This record gives sequence, structure tokens and C-alpha cells, in this order.
Amino acid sequence: MSAENHHLPPRIKLIWGLSALGSFIALLIITGLIWLTYRYWNWPFWLVTTFAAFTILEPIIEAALIPYRYRFTRYQISAAAVEMQSGFIFKKRVAIPIARVQNVTLNAGPLLQWQKLTKVSIATASTNHGIEGLELAEAEALRDQIMRLAREARHDQA
Amino acid sequence: MTKPKRTHPLGLLLHMATAIKDYWYLFLLLLTLYRQPLWFALGWTLLIFAILIWPIVRWATLSYRITPEAVEINSGVLVRHHEHIPYSRIQTVQRKQWFFLAPFKLEELVIETASHDDNKPEAGLAAVPTSLASEIDRYRQATPTPAAVTPTEPLDPDSAASAPSATTAATAHYRIDNRTLLKFAITSTGFIPLLLVLLAMYNKIPRKWTDAFINDASHLAIVVLVGGALLVILVAWVAAFMWTYFRYFHFDVALRDDQLQTAKGLVQRNTITAPLKRIQAVRVKQNVFRQWLHIQTVQVLLASKAAAKDDSDDLVILPAVPQAQLYDVAAPFVDLLPDHAPDLSSLSVTDRRKWYLVRNALLVVLAPVVIVGYFLPHWWWALAILVAIAYFQGLFAARQTGGGLVTPTLLALQTGHVWTKETYYVPVETIQSVRLQQSVWMKKKQLMHLTVNVRHGNKNQAIELRYLRAEQAQRVYDWYLHTV
Repeated sequence: MSAENHHLPPRIKLIWGLSALGSFIALLIITGLIWLTYRYWNWPFWLVTTFAAFTILEPIIEAALIPYRYRFTRYQISAAAVEMQSGFIFKKRVAIPIARVQNVTLNAGPLLQWQKLTKVSIATASTNHGIEGLELAEAEALRDQIMRLAREARHDQA
Repeated sequence: MTKPKRTHPLGLLLHMATAIKDYWYLFLLLLTLYRQPLWFALGWTLLIFAILIWPIVRWATLSYRITPEAVEINSGVLVRHHEHIPYSRIQTVQRKQWFFLAPFKLEELVIETASHDDNKPEAGLAAVPTSLASEIDRYRQATPTPAAVTPTEPLDPDSAASAPSATTAATAHYRIDNRTLLKFAITSTGFIPLLLVLLAMYNKIPRKWTDAFINDASHLAIVVLVGGALLVILVAWVAAFMWTYFRYFHFDVALRDDQLQTAKGLVQRNTITAPLKRIQAVRVKQNVFRQWLHIQTVQVLLASKAAAKDDSDDLVILPAVPQAQLYDVAAPFVDLLPDHAPDLSSLSVTDRRKWYLVRNALLVVLAPVVIVGYFLPHWWWALAILVAIAYFQGLFAARQTGGGLVTPTLLALQTGHVWTKETYYVPVETIQSVRLQQSVWMKKKQLMHLTVNVRHGNKNQAIELRYLRAEQAQRVYDWYLHTV
């Protein structure tokens, strides 16, 4: 069943890019600290080179995967269920019936807030599923829709 | 009963026993400190405080009260807790009676409530009269469950008036016979962890002793080695046997109204009452030894923590049933079980797909085998055994994997992890979500992994069937989307 198959908002790519930059900075700091241990405590030098290599490679890979990540992450909502799909090399697809949804949480870090985006996490009685970023208005509408459908679904069962 | 009561002084013993269980390592620590008098004295003070004074204070400050509306428990030394548990919020009641409490007509009571966001959703009373549990039971029966908890059950004002008279007769009852219990205990896999512990201890024996011994008895080396190994296995196995036998002694299960009650144990009699409506799924379990003896275990997965301390985290409702009688014996207790063995062939891993499972099992042991083989080449025989075990585990998993729809709203799934066949019966109402996974390579070969998520205690139980044919897995996914 293919109701509407949505992509995430394109601005999410910017966020992912910035977070790759963020991990580069964090790794750079760690590498710097390790260089200090080499300089003053005579820790082995290969530790520094390993970390430096990792610092360069990890953000590049993270950034290079952004278009791929964007292209294959999708979600869709029908009257009965929320479905999410991600990945191509390792494709995952999950179905969460609206009737099982316990609560929907929106949360956004500073970057997402700045771009007026928000993360959505949908919790059932035992599992948690997240959409990485949605337009704030869209997310709120989605939350209200899911919660309304969930109320109705629960009503039907009784 | 208006005044809050303290628990029986014998409960103090239990408090202390728990303290000793929690802090025994402090004692070991102390032994290493005997050279430093200051630390030694400090250590002793700490130990005495932890296992003697603290439990006494805890016991002295704990009190309870039964009112027609709720159980009230006051506890805490520095921070006073006042817990008010209305009967309708009680999920399960667990009664544990150590043999030395029986003559005094006392038992330990653990009351579990529905609040699952709390870290500690249960209240314990260490030693209280056995009459207390039945009193609570009476009040619980009298209190109709509010609609919020059971949306499907209509509120019936008459039942509230008639229920408190006495506990109703059991609608189904089963007690394990001694022969089946013996079979069950003999085939307990509990000896494996024990074996590992014994092996670790063997490693700790000073080299000098073993070397001297081997020198003395070099002509008997093989005999001694094999004999020693057999002895260790035997010791571990007998210990596991005793443990299981005493634990499940006189196992008894009864269904009353909508409550399942199980009782088991010789040294400690453990009685658990759980509501049927909290059952999320039924699991039929059988390890490879029990497969040879044709006995199976039936457990229920509850949406509560009641059985979390029970072994393997689930409420066992039938520890051992002869395979042939399983569905006749078990069906009266849990109505979602079918009355005959279902056909599980519509989800299966056959033909060459089983080699993927074998490959994955071998990959798991690859790293340890390579590392150990590099450093200890003369242990090759142990590594060979490990590889063989992994190989056959892969085949075992492939053979056991199965599943299918038993009724239009009941899914059966069977897996074969760790030499144990597990068959889950999951009604569609309790499946929280379903997930499909497929890698690029699997896409070419038309394969898919299927994961079904069910609530289990306060956590998630993911039932994963790997390397199914894509259309089989997709069919379950579509069924789920269309049925809910």
C-alpha cells in the first residue's frame, strides 16, 4: 500500500552536513588532546596518526553519504499505519499501526530549531521509532493526526 | 485494621540475607586489607553497617496497612516513602515462602503495580502472615478494574457485589508429575555457565601443583585429563539438576477467573498470580536435550515485570509437558494457543538459504578462533569443537525457523537460537511493530529478514526470522498492516 511516500525536507541535508562538521571539530579536539599526551607524557605517536586519519576520514564519509541517506529515507502515513523506510544497501522498512502508538514526541536541538525543523519519535508500548527531521508545522500536524487516529482506533477496539 | 503494622521480626533475617548477597564482595575486599589497621577497621565498620545496622533500621521503619481501598506501605529512613496502592492498580502478586517461614505461617509478598515509568514498580514486604495475601486477593476481587485498564471488559456492578465471598474454583489445573520433573531437571542447561565457572577456577590453580601432578602421573596423563574433565562436567551437571529440581518442585498451575496462578519450589515456595489480560504472547521452548526427551516448556510473555526475576525472564506456566500432550494440556490455560500443533511451513529457511545461517554462525566464532589459535596453537582440538558447534548451530537454526498464520489473527513464529527451539504465538493485537530488512545482496537473491516486536516486561522482545524468502516476509508484513 503506497499512500503518500514522503521524503524528509531537503534542508535536513544542511543539518547533516553541519553535524558532520561538528563531528570533525570534536574529533579534532580529541586528536589535539592525544597529541598533547604524546608531547608531554610520551604516549606512542601512532595513536596520534590513527586518530588524525580517523578525524579526516570519518567526516568525509559522513558527508559523502548524505545524498544517499536523503534519497533512501522515506516515510508514509495512511489511516492505519505509519511506515518508515531507510537505507539502500541495508534497506529497512518498519510498520507501526496507528492503534499501537502510545505517544508522539517532537524534539529539536539548536541546529534543527534554527532551521525550523524537528525530530519526531513515535513510541509504542515497547519500541521507539524516529523520523530524523520534519518541518515544524508538518510535524505538529502529523502528531495531531496520529494521536487523533490513535484515539479513534482505540475507540474502535472497545 | 487501622494502625500500620510492622512486618514479622523474621523478615529482618531476610533483609540481612539480601544485604549479605549484595555486599559479600566487601568481605573479600576486607580480607585483602588486613595489613592496614586503619582501613581494616573502617572496612569492618562499613560491613557491619551494611549487613546489620542498615537492615535493622530498614525493617524498623517499614510498616504496612490494609484498607478496603488500598494497600499502604510506609518505608524509608532519611526519606520517608508513603506508598498507596489501590487494588485496581495491582498487576501481579508474588508470594515467596522460605521453608523456615512455613511453620510460622509467614511469607514474603511482592506487589507489582501497573506504573511502568517507575524504576521500581513493586513493593515488597519481607515477612507477613500468609492470611494477608488472601485478604488482598479478596479485596482485589471486590474492586472492579477501571475501564482505563481494560477497555474491552464491560463494568459489571453485580460482580463487584458477589465476588468477595471466596476464591472461585479453578477452571483449569495442572500439577507436574515427578517423572516429567526429573526429565526436566536432568536436561537443564544451567550446567553450562557453571561449567565455565569451574573451568575458570581450574585456570586459577597454581601451575606448580598441576605440573608436579602431571610429572608424578605422566603415564596416566590422558586418563587423568579425561577423568578430570568428566568429573567437572558431572559436578556442574548435578548442581544444575538439584537447582532446577528444587526450584520447580511440585510445580502447580491453576486458572481462576481471569488470573493465572503458578506455585513452585521446595526450599522456597514461590507463588505468582498474574492476570490473563496482560499476556502478550505465549512461548513454547525446548532446548536440544529436551528435544531428545520430547518435553517442552510453556511460558507467557507478560506486559509487566512480575516474572523478571524468574529464570529467563518469563512466567513459566508449564515447565515440562510431554510433547504429544502439549496442546491438550496448555490450551485450557491460555485461550490463544491452538489445540493442535500448527503448520509452520509457510515461513521457513530451506534449500541453500540454510548455508547463510551456517556462514553467519561460523563468522561469529571466527574472531575468537583465530585469536586463540594464534596464541595457543596446542588448543586446536577445543577450537575444532567450537567450529563444529557453530556449524551445527547454523543448521539447527535453519531447521527450526518456521512460522505462519494459525488463525487470521494469530501468528506463530519459530526460531532456533542457541540450541533452543522457541515457538511464539502472538496475537495481532499485541504486535507493536513489524520490520523488514534487506541488503542489496539479499535483494538479488530475493531474501528478507523479518522482525516482529512484542512487549515483554517493560522491554521489547524482538522475534527475528532471518533469511526468509522476500515474498514470505512481505506477506506477513502486509497481513499485519491490513489486519490491525
